[in-house]
Amino acid sequence: MDLTDKEYVERCRDGHQEDFRVLVDRYQKPLFAFLAGRLRDGLQVEEAAQESFVRAFLSLKKLRKQESFYSWLLGIAGRVAKEQLRSLKHRQQDCEVTESIMANVADRREDYPLEEAIAALPESYRQVILLRYYEGHSCQEIATRLDLPLGTVTKTLSRAYALLRQELAARESAETTVNQT
Amino acid sequence: MNCAECRENLVACVEGLLEREESLQCQAHLETCAACRAEHAAITRLQQQLVARGPATAEVSLVNPVMRRVQAMQNDRERNPIMTKLFTRWGFGLGAAAGAAAIILITFLVFPKAQATAAEVMARGAQAVAKLTSIHLRGQLRTLPAENFGYINPDAGFYTVELWKQFEPELKWRVEKPERVAVMDGQSTVMLIKTANLAVKVPKPVKSAFDTDWLHKIANLSNTITNELNNAIAKGWKLNLTEERGADGRTKDVVTIEAKSGLPDNDYLKNSFFDDSDTRRVYVFDPQTELLESVKIYLHAVSGDKLIFELDQIDYNQPLDAAVFQLELPANVNWFQNEMQKLPDNEKYASMTAEQAARAYFEAFRRQDWTEAEKFRRSTLDDQTKKNVGSLEIVSIGESFTSAAYAPGGRFVPYVIKLKSGEVITNNLALKKNWKTGRWWDDGGF
Repeated sequence: MDLTDKEYVERCRDGHQEDFRVLVDRYQKPLFAFLAGRLRDGLQVEEAAQESFVRAFLSLKKLRKQESFYSWLLGIAGRVAKEQLRSLKHRQQDCEVTESIMANVADRREDYPLEEAIAALPESYRQVILLRYYEGHSCQEIATRLDLPLGTVTKTLSRAYALLRQELAARESAETTVNQT
Repeated sequence: MNCAECRENLVACVEGLLEREESLQCQAHLETCAACRAEHAAITRLQQQLVARGPATAEVSLVNPVMRRVQAMQNDRERNPIMTKLFTRWGFGLGAAAGAAAIILITFLVFPKAQATAAEVMARGAQAVAKLTSIHLRGQLRTLPAENFGYINPDAGFYTVELWKQFEPELKWRVEKPERVAVMDGQSTVMLIKTANLAVKVPKPVKSAFDTDWLHKIANLSNTITNELNNAIAKGWKLNLTEERGADGRTKDVVTIEAKSGLPDNDYLKNSFFDDSDTRRVYVFDPQTELLESVKIYLHAVSGDKLIFELDQIDYNQPLDAAVFQLELPANVNWFQNEMQKLPDNEKYASMTAEQAARAYFEAFRRQDWTEAEKFRRSTLDDQTKKNVGSLEIVSIGESFTSAAYAPGGRFVPYVIKLKSGEVITNNLALKKNWKTGRWWDDGGF
């Protein structure tokens, strides 16, 4: 049985750095998707994803709510992406290119709240969503892997969808309010 | 099946996990119940968003590279507690605040001895020019005279490229090649493409613009070393130090950096622009003054290494004539439009694919409908261009493609056209999509 994020974070902090591998494996794909919503190409996204994990590892001791590892990791990744965009902006000073970059970010803004909403899910729901959509497992495979009845997996998915929709609607509503003021 | 049962089974139904009979009941209920249908549609939409993540992340495999970096840092932290502080502060990013002294320390600890020595020579060069008031660089670049400042072409001849840069009392700069010049006069930044009689203005002073960054980097050695070392650490670029005897008979320190663009070999723009090329950069320093004396840059091309840039003059702290930072523009200069406006029938253009936009653009030339053609441009067409391209014939328009190094959303459309003169042109039209209007515009290649 896999340990929880909190347990892995604690183990890493206790000197079992090799356990960080599990956290990278667990969140590399959603992190990549999150960064792909902000950066322009695969190489940049991969660099930013690596950098985010490394910075997270270096700062693990500063993480107060260990169970919020993924949400905290997204915060780090957001900062890394901003740094990369700034560096890209310096590199391509052509005003239209810069305009396009900003446009690209603006256009894709609607995409990345999904990863943030996933980060806000309770871990058991998040785990099923990640296995289903980022790891590509069927519900039956998830049931086998987590040693759960198939019905429990579909019910967990159902509840996870409801929570995700709530979270996305709340974010959309907050964004609309901000844009209107 | 009632609503409660349908909702309870909806995910299993969407996932295709229900028995045939249950599935039919669920479908039958959905056909008659608008509320459950809406719920079904909402779940399907969310699933589509989630499913879209799969292919984008299918090949992601960060575990080993991340763990290698973690392991390397852990070893360094154990070897030297100072490294802990440096890495914690800057990560592997080595922010711009990192001074030359810190860089020397890091490189000694991270790199093998030879590389550290090379880095130290560069860092001393950076210190030697840390208090520059002005710099003038002149070099020879294999390029085309009117092309972008960063454009390189190993098959082209050498053309002079110069940079004048004043750091005090206020930053001003000028970069010039035969048919293209850019000036930042402390107030705004303007580029003139002489052959096209086209000017572009950024209405504010900027440190670099219009693809001149690579030359500014050479001028600002302090930043260059940070960038080069940053890349060397993060991307595994090689640094090396050798000695050679200069023309004046004195020994010189030669630092060589193997720079990788990171672009795949088949990328259309690879090796077309400075920062998108695999190059060997050779910096020569005078060991006594510790100043940079020359730079040679070789392109790693399929046909072998080729010298593409040679810096043949560097003047430190020489007074620069104020006229250098003034740009005389022709009275009839054509200004690049920084902002595109929405058209009354904008949607017609915004919904075009890149291929459709290319065809519509060339069709407008064929009909000599210049108003229509300019809907795909950020500048007006001059009479000579109109004369050349009017009544052209479209031979073919190919499938568009892009490059990892091109602006996001930008596409290249292969085309073959035949001009009225009989000349056949085969090239790729670079189209960028303007984010405000959604319209494609001609960014070059024509």
